[in-house]
Order: sequence, then structure tokens, then C-alpha cells
Amino acid sequence: MAAKTPEQITDDLLRPLSGISGRYAVSAAFLAGVIVAALCAFFWQVYAGLGVSGLRWPVFWGFYITNFVFWIGLSHAGTLISAILRIANATWRRPVTRCAEVITVFALSIGATFPVIHLGRPWLAFWLFPYPSERGLWPNIRSPLLWDFFAINTYLMSSVTFLLLPMVPDLALIRDRATGWKKKIYGAVALGWTGTPKQWHRLETAMHIMAIAVIPVAVSVHSIVSWDFAMAPVPMWHSTIFAPYFVAGAIFSGIAALILAMALLRKLLRLEEYLLPIHFENLGKLLLVMSLLWFYFVFAERLTAWYGNETGEMAVFWVTQHGSYSPLFWAMVACNFLIPFPILAIKKLRTITGTAIASFTIVIGMWLERYLIIVPSLSHKYLTYSWGAYRPSWVEITITAGTFCAMGLLYMIFSKVVPIISIWELKAGLKERPQAAHAVAQPNEAGAD
Amino acid sequence: MAPTSAIYGLFPDPESAERGMNALNRAGVSPSRIVVMSNEPFDEYSFSKMDHATPMPWLAAAGGLVGGTLGFLLARLTQEAYPIVTGGMPLLAAWPTGIVTYELTMFGAVLTTIITLLISTRLPNWKSKLYDPEVSNGMILIGVLDPSTATRVEVENRLRGAGAVKVKAAGAIA
Amino acid sequence: MGHQWGMAIDLDRCNGCEACVVACHAENNISTVGEDQAARSRVKHWIRVERYYEGEFPDVSVKFMPVFCQQCDAAPCEPVCPTFASYHTSEGLNGQVYNRCIGTRYCANACPYNARFFNFFNPVWEKPLNLQLNPDVSVREVGVMEKCTFCVQRIKAAEIQAAAEKRDLKDGELKPACVQSCPTRAMVFGDLSDPESEVSRLANSSRGTRLLGELGTRPKVTYLQRDSWHGSENA
Repeated sequence: MAAKTPEQITDDLLRPLSGISGRYAVSAAFLAGVIVAALCAFFWQVYAGLGVSGLRWPVFWGFYITNFVFWIGLSHAGTLISAILRIANATWRRPVTRCAEVITVFALSIGATFPVIHLGRPWLAFWLFPYPSERGLWPNIRSPLLWDFFAINTYLMSSVTFLLLPMVPDLALIRDRATGWKKKIYGAVALGWTGTPKQWHRLETAMHIMAIAVIPVAVSVHSIVSWDFAMAPVPMWHSTIFAPYFVAGAIFSGIAALILAMALLRKLLRLEEYLLPIHFENLGKLLLVMSLLWFYFVFAERLTAWYGNETGEMAVFWVTQHGSYSPLFWAMVACNFLIPFPILAIKKLRTITGTAIASFTIVIGMWLERYLIIVPSLSHKYLTYSWGAYRPSWVEITITAGTFCAMGLLYMIFSKVVPIISIWELKAGLKERPQAAHAVAQPNEAGAD
Repeated sequence: MAPTSAIYGLFPDPESAERGMNALNRAGVSPSRIVVMSNEPFDEYSFSKMDHATPMPWLAAAGGLVGGTLGFLLARLTQEAYPIVTGGMPLLAAWPTGIVTYELTMFGAVLTTIITLLISTRLPNWKSKLYDPEVSNGMILIGVLDPSTATRVEVENRLRGAGAVKVKAAGAIA
Repeated sequence: MGHQWGMAIDLDRCNGCEACVVACHAENNISTVGEDQAARSRVKHWIRVERYYEGEFPDVSVKFMPVFCQQCDAAPCEPVCPTFASYHTSEGLNGQVYNRCIGTRYCANACPYNARFFNFFNPVWEKPLNLQLNPDVSVREVGVMEKCTFCVQRIKAAEIQAAAEKRDLKDGELKPACVQSCPTRAMVFGDLSDPESEVSRLANSSRGTRLLGELGTRPKVTYLQRDSWHGSENA
């Protein structure tokens, strides 16, 4: 197959933006339907009270906080790929960066809704915002929830700009080819970009600065989310390992989500010549490392808890490993390690399908991990009389399903409006390696390692 | 004052654009009147190097400092701004103050970077008439702003000679 | 130094009658939640009597332990509340400001005693219980946390009365509803800053322990028992 010319690349990557197929419309309608159901469930909850959820004494945090941590964790996809690989000058990242950054922005936005969804009085959520209130009170910055507020907002602002800034040249490209009202809209958001050297230099410098800035922000975000748990004297929560454990878990689930998204996009948008086996191979190797790291953290945490033999902790330890939560626990271990490890470690299995399967199980496993961190500990605190089991209600399940569908729908809309692979970055990367032009067009070759 | 007119050539590849740039330099056109546009950053070529270094990283650092100071003040001053009953329990805490300071430092750095980017590139700028949609198709635009009537023909010839596929005029002299 | 309110519970006297639970509901406008919600553990028993069984039949013994907010001096629920709804009063109590609460429920998770309760629904008093509401205590709406306050309304009323009469409060003059209703006089309430008060004396008793004291919460309630319970972590 001949190498792709820049014209062909542009055409291929802009093709998904034109027209809506029947399959697209039906899928979007289905996802929108679930989202509407979730909104109804939420408004019902606001009207009737949180009693419609499955929460109870003493398990006051359940599905909603699980989802909160899960989605914030998933949002670490973009940071790792875009920022770290940008700084490391890894050229294979180019087709992948925008997919990843989009996951980050949407996952973060979805995750950030959960602190409001789970409130007893969500109409007062704005009291978390630091402003000179008529009540004579500022928020309490000793609370980890306030740290969440600052961290998530900083990360959201950084990720949104990290996504939007390199989009401008591509929006200019679409503007130049569009007509009518589309031209007006794309013209507006392209900010009048013309592509002078000054604009390119400034943009690249800004991207470089933000890539450096966003990595410590992402690390701090999930550390702070983990401290929502670690700062409370709850058995198996009050552990110093939580911050690195959560950050590693976040990057782990983020890469898995990215691989899944890429596999789907490759199929649905016919991007087989751009999202190559080598990309899945490389991300699969990173995922393998993160799977091992995840296993290491879980092992270290459980070993020290078991050795410490502290009564309160052991109750939670055993109920998770042998007791009523053990099916979920072992499912989590299988999903996060036992199944992905052989798939990702054996080169023959580390194909696009293989990594996609591994990623799917990992996303499930990481959701289970968040659940198993929160619920067993809360249901087995220090006074045995007050132990209690949690079961989610239809409200929580519907809202959870709604957020997954929201992620899908947002992604679908985005890939219809903006090219999901950064066209200018891909073309710029072709010049770096002359053989890269060939790599774009030969999907069966494993490519350089 | 914004340029009102320009003569430019569209080059199909960076090598010919490089030749066009050299031709203009040899003709004695001052660099401040040369305009270049492309749909990729051709960092290795000299025609894309006509730009002075940007103090953006320093400004980002300064923005971080400002953000950090504001964060520190927010965390410190707000806790004691209104009288609040704590029964003798401590109200000011070092680590949370540190966390808020850190987050707002990063916020300040990123915000400053964005603002610097927008200001230094003068974006958004929807009114500029100086553009050719062929740039999106891969053409590299090299041109001269506000050429005097005398030099017009010479500029056109030089651009063509260097390999421009098209030579056009824009603005008042179009 | 001002008052520092504390309590002492004699577990050897408690017979598990739960009069304290009923009195607390009556005094503090705590609604009942109905059979279905109670089965789902949405009850709001600011004081509850925990029941622990020891031994095998026929040598079974039951231990009763009333548990309520321990008004900790190093309360884990205070730093975590984002809106200062949970705060420390100048008299050593952990106060809950219902109007500030937005219902994050972090305080409930942080409390090792599970002494904090959430209003999952708006409280409902079936007739004629609605006539029995205490005007000195606010009614909490849905989405707000609540817990034992050591009947702060009674404390305030007694302090105001004593100040009006230009005298100090006498030890034993002031009793929360639970203390007042206990038939075996197992509960004692008083000022820990007064070394002469009965609660101070009992706090130094050799039979005294602090519930989950090893967690560093510095609770203000002393539990008195002759022997520590076998296999329990409460001694």
C-alpha cells in the first residue's frame, strides 16, 4: 500500500465528521434515553430525599462516591499519554493524544458531578465555593472535600485547555473547507488562526509548558481524592499507601479506557490505518506495567494489614477476602490482574483485540476496586453492633448507567464535530521519521519497537 | 497599523518555500514585512524561524507565583476572616494551606500560559483578511506585506522563480 | 475555665431497658421512620443501646452499652466537614449546626462510634405525635446530619437560669433527657472541669475506660465496668 499523502490523511480524518449514519442515530438515541432516565432518577432523589438510594447507617457513601473516584481516576488517561509522552518525545503518541485528552475532559466533568449528586442538600453545593458568604463563613479548608474542590477545578481547567489549544489549527482546517453556517461556527472557534510561525511557536511552547504543569496537577488530584478516605479513622482507610495507590490505579484505569476508546474508534470510524497495532502494542505494554504496579500496591497494602493484625482492620480484611465481599474481591483480582496479565505479557496475545479485552476487564475491575475500598470498610467499622450491609437501589444504578452512557454520547458527539486524531500533529510527526509515512499506511506491520 | 495589502506565493512543499524565503531576503525585503503561513509547524526550516524567543515560560512561572500567593492568602485569611466558634480547637492548619497554595499555583501557571498565548498571537482575530484557504490544503504561503508599487513585479517574479504554484495579491491591491 | 461537659455510664447498672432512647426521641424531636425504613437502618437513635452476647447457652450473658456522641476533644468529625457544620463549642461539646450542613456525610464516616445520623427523608410525625414536639429543639430537614448534643438546649436553659439567679450551676442540677430517664441511675452527667463533681470522680475511677480511646479521639464519656468483656476491644 502506498504511503498516504497529506491530502489523503486530511480526507480520512475529516470523513467521520460528515453525515450521520442510521447506526449512529440509533446509538445516540439509546444513550440519550438512558441519560434522561438517569436525570429523572436524580430529580426524584432531590425531591424525595436520599432515602431513595441504598445508603444507610453506617454505609453513608456507596455507588456515588465509587463513581466519583472511578471517573476522576479514568481522567488520568489524557495526562499520561499526552503530557508524559509529549515530554518524552515519544513519536507514536501523535494519533492518540486527542483521544486521550477527550477522555480526560469528559471523565473529569462526569466525575465532578458526583460530589453534587451525592449531597443531602445539593441545592446548597455552592457553599463549597470560597466566597464571602452572607452567613459569615468561608468553607473549611481543613476538609479534604475542599482540597477536592481546588484540585479538580485546577485539573479541569488545565485539561480543557490542553484539549482545546491544539484543536485550534484543526478547527481552522475545517473552517477552510466548510460552507454556510458550519463555516461561521468553525470560524468562530478557530479564533482566526492563520498558521504564522509566531502562532505555531507560541502554541507549541504553551503546549510544552502545560504538559509539564498538568502532570503534577494530575498526581495531586488523585492523591487528594484518596485522602477523602485516608484522612478518616476508618479501618483499612487510614493508610499512608492510599495516595500512590490511587494515582497508580488511576493511570491504570485511564490507559485501559484509552485502549478501549481507540479500539472502538478504529472500528467505527474506520481509522485502521491511523490507529495501528503498534499503538495498541505500546499502550498494552504500559498497561502491563500498570497491572503489575496495581498488584504490587494491593499486595503491599493487604500484607501490612494482615501482619499488623489490628482488630478493626482484620474484620474488614477478612470480610473482603473470605466473607460476603469475597466474590467481588476475587472478581476484581481476576479482572485487574489474572486475566489481563497473560494477555498483555504474551506478545502473540497483545493484539488490538487482546488489549481491548484486557482493557474492558480492567475498567470493570477498577470500578469494583473503588467499590471495595469504600463499602466493606464503612460497613465494618470499629463497633461490631453497628455493622451493616449496603445494597444499591435502582436510583443509584440508573444514575451510574447514565454516566457511562453520557461518556459514550459525549464521545460520539465530539468525534462527529472535531477530528478525533489531531491532523496537524500527525502530519508534523510524519516529517520526523521518513518511514513514518509508510507506517501510517501499513496496518499489518508491527512497526518499529 | 494593520497591513492593508500583500503579495504572496503559494508553495507546494517546504523546500520551495525555503527558496521563496531566500529569494525575498536577497531582494532586500525587511523581515518584518514578510508573512508566512502554513498548516503545520515546519520547525526545521528557516522560514519558520522568523520569530523572537518568547518569555512564556517565565511568565507562566510568574503566574504560578501570583496564583500561589493568592492561594496562600485565601487559605490563611479566610479562616480567620469571620469570628467562628472553635472551642479552642486550632483553625489554621499548615498542610491544607499548603495544598490549596499548591493547587492555585498550578492554576495560575496554566491560566497565565493561556493568556500569554492568546495575547502574543493576537488571537482571537476574526477580522484579519490576510489569509488563503489553500494553506489548509498544504500550501505554504510566503508573501510581502504592503509592497510598494515599484517592487510589486519584482516580488512576483522572485516568488514564481522560487517555485510558487500561484502568486496572488490580497487586500487593497487585489 | 468554663464548663466542660462529660458523662459517665455504669455498664454494670445498665439493664438495656432503652428508656434513654425513648426519652431522647421525645426531647430532641427525633422522628420515627417506620418499620420499612427501620429495617433499612435509617433510624436516628441518637443514643442506642448496643447489645453483645457472651458465652454459649445456657451460660449466656448479655452486655448492654449505650452509645451516643462522645463529644470528643479530638473529634475526627470536625476537620472533615466542609461547611463548619460540625464544630467544637467552648464548653467542650461537638456542636452540629443544621443550617450549615449540606449533607456530604463525611462526618458520619469519620466518626468511629457511628454516632451520627442522616435525615434520609423529611421527618414525619403521625398524629398525635406532632403535638409532642419540643419547642426548644429545631426540627431537621431532609439531607442534614444530626446527633446527640448532650441536650444542649437543657444546658443552655440551665445556664441562663443560673445566670439570672446570679449563682453557679449545682452538680446534678442539669440532666439530659437520657440521664433523667434512666431507672437504674446508670448515667451521670456533669462538669468535668469541676473536680468535685460526680462525673469527674467517676472519670478517675479504676472501673473506668474510654470507648475506642486508642484511636486518639479523646472522648468525654467514661464507661464503668468491673471486668472487661471477653473478646471485646472495648476495654
